[in-house]
Amino acid sequence: MQAIQSHLFAVREILAPVLKESKFKEHGRITPEEFVLAGDFLVYKFPVWTWEAGDKSKTRDFLPADKQYLVTRGVPCLRRATSLAYTDADEDAERLLSFADTSGGADDEWVETHAGRKSTLHSLQNPGEIADIPDGDLDVVNGIAGMSLGEGASGGAGGKEREVSEIPDLDDIPDMEEDLEDEDEATAAPKPKPIPAPAATIAETQGGVIDARYASQIEPAKGNLLQVRTYDVMISYDKYYQTPRVWLIGYDEDRNPLAPQHIFQDISADHAHKTVTIEPFIHSTSLQAASVHPCKHASVMKKVIERMNSSVVAEQLAAQQAAGGAKAASGSGKEGKKKWFGGGSKSSSVPKKDKSSAAGTAGAEGEDQIEGMRVDFYLVVFLKFIASIVPTIEVDSTTSF
Amino acid sequence: MVLVQFVPFASIVQPAFWHRLSELKIDTLQLSDHAVDISASYSVGRSVTDRESGREIDLGCTIAVGAESFDPDSKPHATSIVTKGSLKNFNTVEDFKSADKPALFNAHAQKIWDHILTTKDSSLLTSFFLISFADLKKYKYYYWFAFPAFTAKPAWEIANGWSLASNHFSPDTLAAIHTSLRSRSPILPFFLVHNSQIAPVEDYQSFFAQVPPEHQIIAFIDPSADPANPGWPLRNLLAYLRALYPPSTSTLRVLCWRDLELPPNANWKSRYGILTLPPSDADPTIRPSAVGWEKNSQGKLGPRLADLAPMMDPTRLANQAV
Repeated sequence: MQAIQSHLFAVREILAPVLKESKFKEHGRITPEEFVLAGDFLVYKFPVWTWEAGDKSKTRDFLPADKQYLVTRGVPCLRRATSLAYTDADEDAERLLSFADTSGGADDEWVETHAGRKSTLHSLQNPGEIADIPDGDLDVVNGIAGMSLGEGASGGAGGKEREVSEIPDLDDIPDMEEDLEDEDEATAAPKPKPIPAPAATIAETQGGVIDARYASQIEPAKGNLLQVRTYDVMISYDKYYQTPRVWLIGYDEDRNPLAPQHIFQDISADHAHKTVTIEPFIHSTSLQAASVHPCKHASVMKKVIERMNSSVVAEQLAAQQAAGGAKAASGSGKEGKKKWFGGGSKSSSVPKKDKSSAAGTAGAEGEDQIEGMRVDFYLVVFLKFIASIVPTIEVDSTTSF
Repeated sequence: MVLVQFVPFASIVQPAFWHRLSELKIDTLQLSDHAVDISASYSVGRSVTDRESGREIDLGCTIAVGAESFDPDSKPHATSIVTKGSLKNFNTVEDFKSADKPALFNAHAQKIWDHILTTKDSSLLTSFFLISFADLKKYKYYYWFAFPAFTAKPAWEIANGWSLASNHFSPDTLAAIHTSLRSRSPILPFFLVHNSQIAPVEDYQSFFAQVPPEHQIIAFIDPSADPANPGWPLRNLLAYLRALYPPSTSTLRVLCWRDLELPPNANWKSRYGILTLPPSDADPTIRPSAVGWEKNSQGKLGPRLADLAPMMDPTRLANQAV
């Protein structure tokens, strides 16, 4: 079902006209030109991001050939989102992010994230959040796994029940461990994995609601164990929704590619399998990636931009009225910038030099005319919003590193 | 005195790399198992602060290959070092298993060594090779990286351990090094430092001609973020300097450069240490033995397996294969 749907969406996206007129303040949507502009700004300010051309056959002609999508690689993810605990207060904040009541009044917590939360074992003893993963999706993936393994002697029969993403083991080639080189005294031994975890027994994890199939996957995520995964994060432009769209490809702590199902452990439970699904990546002919569906991006972005814009306009007005001239303008711009991001950023305790200098520029330029928030900031804001969906993946490069 | 230990390279293979290999195998290589030139990239070691415990988590000494690895004209990311290597893809898993790995490894190590002696060029110091077997029907890829590094016998020792570069260099000097490093494209993987000046490591003789030994500093882009251990590329840099300039290199001042972005609040992550080599009468031009097969996720010397079956859509791949 999901496969049909994503094909349908793909066709719909091809047929959609390219947005010509800037609408970013009115609707939260941006034109391809603005996407490039905002992308250039992101790449300039945060060089961990780069433009990519992608697969030639998938080039979209409304974007420059060498600026098809943005990518940042090796984004760390220290914990599983499924190990974060939820409190009643957090649930209030989450509801805002679940988009269901975006028309509601309390705008202020739009970017409340799970990340600052203490992770505890609570969610394991009460694993309701992960138990409701719809079977439908699993069937599709199982089907694929079964198909590709079907020709093997052992693979086919258990295809459906087969653990989708077994940890690759090298039993197929058992004699490959070789004595190629002696123990080398100058090679640093791999460091033991940091394990500050309160002891949670495996029995606890395997019991309860968690499906046995998942036991081996959930187990590493138990408690406070640090399992440092990394992600490649891509941002493409979605022509139908006229917003950026985020894609994730993950690697486990041994740097093996993560099966899509494992990626869901890093997505807040409200979004896994709902707004976040596994889809073919639009700039590749074969890769599948987890993607945050962009259908509600525009409305969320609109709200965020509205709020930020009003404070920016106020700042710029104040700056203009200030008698101090350019110096004062850039000074107050700095403060203003901190304020815009103050409520939103995950760990705003460390305001970055980058940010304030960016604000300085904006402040100085805004002196002549009151233009409000510039579209350049769109992706910076967008990333903060995405960070709420993937709370443990440090996509928001404006606060990490 | 403590032995200097180096953090080995850890490979990251982007799924797009395997995708491109599959295409190449089907369209171009077919049954050929000749080595193909590829490239890989690394950058300075990264660490991330764990928001819960406040600890600094080291993300390892990684080197990555992706779709662009097959493209000889690919433009490197502004902060990465691109290094050359070769890929030998076997046709059958039996060939992969029975390949004469020591011979392949020695041939590659010899190539690096000869290149050092004959050209004094440092570009092959991080050269690597990769053997693989692609099970195209099952989307399983068996692979094994080797990053040959020459061993020093006796081994390098460090007297006072590695310390923060900011304890030895003024912030202005570090900033000047950063600026001159970033002004070159591509970035120099190995370089020499004197005051705030930098030069390619190939200029060792001319650049250090008038410089007293205690002001001669050798530096490299360090892919390790481990406070106590430098990354793998330093090993071959040391071997390179020993082989070419034996009289002046038994004590080396080494700067492990880890700051390609200006650090916030001047928290430079680069590290500094003074390495010494106990005297020995070995002929420096004879190739030392080399190590560097990557260990697999069980920590053993063995191939790794990337299982992309869940990630690659069979029907689409089938369409391509027609």
